[in-house]
Amino acid sequence: MTPLKGALRLGLAFALGATIMLQGATAQAADKFKIFLSMSFIGNDWQAEAANMVKAMAAHPSMAEKVDLQVQVAGPNAQRQIQQINAMVQAGAQAIVIFPISPTALNAAVKNACDKGVLVFAYDAEITEPCAYNISIDQEEAGRVTAEWLVKKLDGKGNIVAITGVPGTSVDTLRTKAAKEVFAKHPDIKIVAEAVGMWSQATARTELSKILATRSWDDIDGLWMQVGCFTANAMQLEAGKKPEELLACAGEGSNGGRIQMLPIGTAVEGGEMPYAPLGAPRISYASPPYSGGYALKLAVQKLEGKDVPHRITLPLPIVTNETIKYCETGSWEEMKAGCNAFPPALVPNPGWFASIFSPETPEIGFQGALVGQPEL
Amino acid sequence: MTSAATRSFRPRSFRLGRYRGLIIALIVFALLLLLNNMMSPGPMSYFEFSFMSTGGATLAIAAAGQTLVILTGGFDLSAGAVISLVNVLLATNMPDTPMGIFLWSLAGIGVGMVIGAFNGLFIAFFRLQPIVVTLSTMFITQGLTLLVLDKPGGMVPAGLSEALVYDAIPNVLPMPVVVLGILILLWLWLKNTRFGTSVYAIGSDMDAARAQGIRVRWVQFMVYVLAGGCYGFAGVFVSAQTGAGDPLVGNSMLLQVFGAVVVGGTVLGGGRGGAVGSIVGAYILMIVVNILLVLNVSAYYSTITEGCILILAVMAGALGRNAPAARGLRRFFSRLKARNAGMLPGQGSRPAQRLVLPGIGGGRVAGALPPFTVRHAETIRYALPAYVCFVLVVLMTQFVTGNALFHGGYYNSLLVLSSFLLVLALGQGTVILTGGLDLSVPWTIALCGILLAGIVNGQNGPLIYTLPLVLAIGCVIGLVNGFGITMLGISPIVMTLAMNGILQGVALLYSQGTPAGFSSPLMRWFMTSKAEFVTPVVIFILLFVVAAVVLHKRTAFGRRIYALGNGERVSALSGINVNRTTMLVYTLSGFCSALVGCMLTGFSGQASLGMGDEYLLPSIAVVVVGGTLITGGRGSYVGMVGGVLLLTALQTLLAGTMLPYATRIIIFGLVVLAAVVALRERDS
Repeated sequence: MTPLKGALRLGLAFALGATIMLQGATAQAADKFKIFLSMSFIGNDWQAEAANMVKAMAAHPSMAEKVDLQVQVAGPNAQRQIQQINAMVQAGAQAIVIFPISPTALNAAVKNACDKGVLVFAYDAEITEPCAYNISIDQEEAGRVTAEWLVKKLDGKGNIVAITGVPGTSVDTLRTKAAKEVFAKHPDIKIVAEAVGMWSQATARTELSKILATRSWDDIDGLWMQVGCFTANAMQLEAGKKPEELLACAGEGSNGGRIQMLPIGTAVEGGEMPYAPLGAPRISYASPPYSGGYALKLAVQKLEGKDVPHRITLPLPIVTNETIKYCETGSWEEMKAGCNAFPPALVPNPGWFASIFSPETPEIGFQGALVGQPEL
Repeated sequence: MTSAATRSFRPRSFRLGRYRGLIIALIVFALLLLLNNMMSPGPMSYFEFSFMSTGGATLAIAAAGQTLVILTGGFDLSAGAVISLVNVLLATNMPDTPMGIFLWSLAGIGVGMVIGAFNGLFIAFFRLQPIVVTLSTMFITQGLTLLVLDKPGGMVPAGLSEALVYDAIPNVLPMPVVVLGILILLWLWLKNTRFGTSVYAIGSDMDAARAQGIRVRWVQFMVYVLAGGCYGFAGVFVSAQTGAGDPLVGNSMLLQVFGAVVVGGTVLGGGRGGAVGSIVGAYILMIVVNILLVLNVSAYYSTITEGCILILAVMAGALGRNAPAARGLRRFFSRLKARNAGMLPGQGSRPAQRLVLPGIGGGRVAGALPPFTVRHAETIRYALPAYVCFVLVVLMTQFVTGNALFHGGYYNSLLVLSSFLLVLALGQGTVILTGGLDLSVPWTIALCGILLAGIVNGQNGPLIYTLPLVLAIGCVIGLVNGFGITMLGISPIVMTLAMNGILQGVALLYSQGTPAGFSSPLMRWFMTSKAEFVTPVVIFILLFVVAAVVLHKRTAFGRRIYALGNGERVSALSGINVNRTTMLVYTLSGFCSALVGCMLTGFSGQASLGMGDEYLLPSIAVVVVGGTLITGGRGSYVGMVGGVLLLTALQTLLAGTMLPYATRIIIFGLVVLAAVVALRERDS
């Protein structure tokens, strides 16, 4: 029975490890709100940034004494998130802040959590179960507004390329449908190619390269993308275009794209081509990554007895060439005064999302999104 | 002699060893459950029991189906896609009447069986490779799913949940436990039928099974049908559990299904294991979520922890004197002893005595060689279909866009886009030729890309030491994979899957969630410039292809790879150091992934988390479409090149059209299937 003996040894090691950790875990303060964060996949810029902002919110002096926050990752699998929600309820959660992998698949688990008196706050994406609190932007509005901008920019006439998000998700379907409805009203606007961009700059480049294998930039008049304007501009420069000739692009709110929107010659700290001011004609929108932090704040308010509506629609953060403004330091006051593009020297990753300001969340700002540190 | 005789007289005796995989899985599960209970505030309540049983049931049912396929030596990638399809079908169609619920549940299982029959038809009767057929089916099914429902929504009547998820006996027995109990009973019955015995026989040795009079093809066909039925039922169950439809709900479960099967003690390649183990395996994977929570493992460490648990669980199943790890250790010590005693063959001073074969080694007579087409008949035979399809796709592209055939830029773009898969195909293809599989490709790519961009940070100078460093890291990753597979005896899928999770954690920790840095101007020039006649990477990739063909066909290492794929034991007896060759093969794969990480970083200008995710399945697909046998031993890099060109050209064609995404992936799946139908073995 050697295998059994071996397994027994393994078990002993497990148990030993567990007792050691158990002693660490029991030392938690009992008078704090026990709140869990259930993230989806952490392997992308947006998710990591949103998680940073939740952590920063929990670390803010006004919160730190009230909140005991524990962060867990479910990966891309809804089954695991269901299991995770149940485990959080069992572990005595008072509120669960969640980035839902699916708007529908979690409903039963969320309903059960609500029945046990646990508050469930979903950020960015939505949970259709009515007892959940949803904090997100209006995705249809995002699709419509950006499409309308592009139509206006092209004077209602031209060939456009559309790069969509992750097929099969509500966010992608709603945005794309709303945008296409706008384009359909203008018969001279023609979508000449459409590809799935998976909300990734890297995928946007591969897909655009495929489209351009049989087409040239001269055949295209404008771009409607969910993520990828930064890359599209870089590719046009590589193809020999001058910055003044860049195509109008409706797309994401990454800092790289925002810096490109600044007029040529703007003095910015750090960064080099193509992460530089180009005067690129753009409209920049995004699901704001502060929504997770805001959700945590609302959860605490609700736990303290305040009334919180079940649906909070965040204002759509829209930046155009008319409203783009460079931040010197990225302080909260500066953002409040309207700055929305951050120094490349401080944000080395151009894919970092720049829509981090909300008047509702003075606790978290630039440092929160970057490294998870609250404003002081 | 006598002992052997007595043993053969009681063949039905209960031998625990046969169930070792299952027993270990049960022990691991019990320990994890115990740990979870120790750490949780209160004792486990009925509610917790009920939730836990529901949470793992979908995975368990799907894993039970997959087990059947794996027991016959097959492989089924369509599992997750079928679950999604059944889920959206029920969410959009199921009426809220008892009869409607019952009939649509049966219909859900039926849909799974139909898809399984489609798989089975091509695999058993057309004798195509399971991995490509089910990959095509996966794409087609995902497309159909999106046609039924393009975003989460729909409603599943509560009656279904009452029937499958709620209590069988209130506060005593949750329904999922009953469902799984019935499934286990069905399995135990099936296992002891003629059919069940045939399944194990085919997985152990297909030729022997055929010689025994088993109708191999029919059994294989039925296995895929039954497996499809299980996925269909898993789809019904997930609908009951979630109460709504989501076209992506099952897709991400695929790797977990394989994880559950392997943790449950079923051996990839067939012949050993069982569905009960897989069901336990599924619950092990699900309870890990709870363990991570009670231990408060930080988010960045969770994939690392999971990877380690996967490896530990599998290794626990292989403890004991005859475990590969123990054997490897013993062999190492005996070699060491022999070395000290000066008795290793290499230490002798005898001159090597080579066999002198007539006609080889001496002066070759030019006229004696058969013509090129005859010498390479097999390579051409299996590589040709991919190239023929490629030419058709290029012609089609010309027809659709009018700007391909005589447009230099088209071929340039095609080769730049192909370059990533051409490099990956060498690594993955070599691993597959030896009968393995490398699932650690995605995060090896991402980690290496992130490291490169982070250190180089937009400067050309640091490239001199960073590039070799990053490529060396790729080699080390591959070497560790190879070490785990050979020395610790962990199956390639588990080892590389766990490695992938560990690398993901490392990449997250290194980048703190947001990778910094850029590729240098030189790298961007190399991957994207169009100033010269062609993009520089095109010239590089042509040289790479030549070097890869030489490596496979003209070196001793190349011959060892083929030998290994044809039979490990035979290779070992022929004097090939199997372990060293295997480790080298995985090292090569790690190197190729690292190289792709560098190339992608140059191409995109920066590195991002998850940048390698979309290259895993294509890297396997191109190898198999190029005529390589997934079980190893047959295939050629030339064929893989054809596979890469075909798939890239096809994607380029589809990107030039205005077809909806759902239609595109259906077409993609159908073309891949068509390409392999042309590869079909025509004998017998």
